[in-house]
Amino acid sequence: MQEHETIQSYLETIQEQIRWKRARPVLAQELERHLEDQRDAFIKEGRTPKEAERLAIGDMGDPLEVGAELDRVHRPRPQWGLLGLTLALSCAGAILRVSLTAGWSFEAIRLPNTILSLVFGSACLLGMYFLDISRLARHAGKFYLLILLFMVSSWFWSPAPYGIPYYTRYLALCGPTVYVFCLYSLRQKGWIGLFLAILGGFALTAIPYMAPYANATVSMLLIGFVLLLCAVRMDWFGISHKNAVTFGLILAAVSGSAYILHIAPIWDRLNIALHPELDPLTRGFHGVQIRKILESARWLGTAPLDIGNRGLAGFLPEASNDMLPTTIIYTLGWLPYLLLLAALTALLVWLLVRGLKQTHQLGRLAVVAVSLTLGFQLLFSVVLNSGIVLSSAHLPLVVGNLHTMLDMALIGLALSVFRGSSIAREEAVTPIRRIKRIRLQIEYQ
Amino acid sequence: MELDKGLISGSMALLVMKLLEDQDLYGYQMIEELRRRSDDTFHLRAGTLYPLLHGLEEKGSVTAYEQTAENGKNRRYYHLTKQGRGVLAEKEAAWNTYARAVGQVLKGGACLAGA
Repeated sequence: MQEHETIQSYLETIQEQIRWKRARPVLAQELERHLEDQRDAFIKEGRTPKEAERLAIGDMGDPLEVGAELDRVHRPRPQWGLLGLTLALSCAGAILRVSLTAGWSFEAIRLPNTILSLVFGSACLLGMYFLDISRLARHAGKFYLLILLFMVSSWFWSPAPYGIPYYTRYLALCGPTVYVFCLYSLRQKGWIGLFLAILGGFALTAIPYMAPYANATVSMLLIGFVLLLCAVRMDWFGISHKNAVTFGLILAAVSGSAYILHIAPIWDRLNIALHPELDPLTRGFHGVQIRKILESARWLGTAPLDIGNRGLAGFLPEASNDMLPTTIIYTLGWLPYLLLLAALTALLVWLLVRGLKQTHQLGRLAVVAVSLTLGFQLLFSVVLNSGIVLSSAHLPLVVGNLHTMLDMALIGLALSVFRGSSIAREEAVTPIRRIKRIRLQIEYQ
Repeated sequence: MELDKGLISGSMALLVMKLLEDQDLYGYQMIEELRRRSDDTFHLRAGTLYPLLHGLEEKGSVTAYEQTAENGKNRRYYHLTKQGRGVLAEKEAAWNTYARAVGQVLKGGACLAGA
């Protein structure tokens, strides 16, 4: 065995045996702490510091063998299957957007824009895939504030057709994922942490609410609440589960009711969404048109429906955007649409199930946030394209160039969690209960 | 008495999981605890322990979390999962069967030698 005089040179030899560079400092840190404990124990026994360090190193074993063993255990876990499926679905979405709207006099999706979005989307997917989430975790609070600031600033720099800031609507979809970092930064801060976490959630909900973007607001409220409960369940705030859950439930009931009352007349809107024939020329127009298409659609092939001489975009406005799924049903039939839905659902369920198995808590919650965000979008889109028009919604990876890029970035982040799961580490926190106990002991003494 | 390394290496995962049955420990504590419980018979090298722990973590038998220890230093504590408890129970049962069988053979050998 090669002789090492210092802990640092010993650790360097171990690290040289580990091929995954990102794993090296993570693993070396734990070994270094161990060697320091062992060295201190030898010093307490009466050894000199130099001798103690040498003995501690000898006690750990041959660095080549230790490094080789760690190298065997720690390897990146490539996610080629999920990456491939995401790319395949994005390409299918791009082909559908361009081919189904080709030749339309208006609302046609242009090929160069779609190719550009696919290239940028793939870069986002891979960029996020290779991202080290533990680095973000170290600056979780700052990351949350930075994104929040960016979202708020988008009100000012974003173009605003019809007074609605265009990019804010897209950024709002990142809300639940960003919220995970807010929760993570407030770990072990007790009731103050829980209070700040709720405030942080409301700040993120206010952005889509003011955009206005109803489905992103509802998603943020629901997913944010689920994430908050998960954080309580994982003891992130260091307070009693029962108290925190009771508090959370009351808060959810109050905020949910306030939101529903505020967006009144919700019942009237719901009534028109369910019965669009009551107002077929204005508020129920989209619903009536979608239902006409669905009623005449075939399993395979174009529906035998007279859509007039202005084409599908004239018959159904937004047929190349939120209503693209209806366009798919009209032009290609039910079967291709259902196959597409099945593939998207499989991807999201796969993400969620694997995410729930993650032992790294931040990673687990981030994957849950991503899969629920995209899952809600899928659900809202299915409802919308069933003729129940409540809010704008996009089918993930299929509808919208910018939406697709954003979806790919979110999926890339989730996949990075799986890739680096072997070396994912939670940041150390001092439990608040322990601090209180120490304080009590000091006061008593 | 110095034990044959091969004799204990196969059962090291069992011993490590047994240590974690009642409390969460970090690596250094595990080595000390094992030495104490075995009356200084088992001296587990840290270079063996950490790859073993990380392997158990990969399999889901243990989880780990960072926490500030009472000496103020950050340490990585290991916790035996529900799945790990099941594996421990199986390994314990297998070990007991094995130990009983070896004991019986040795006892039988002693009888024959005395006959």
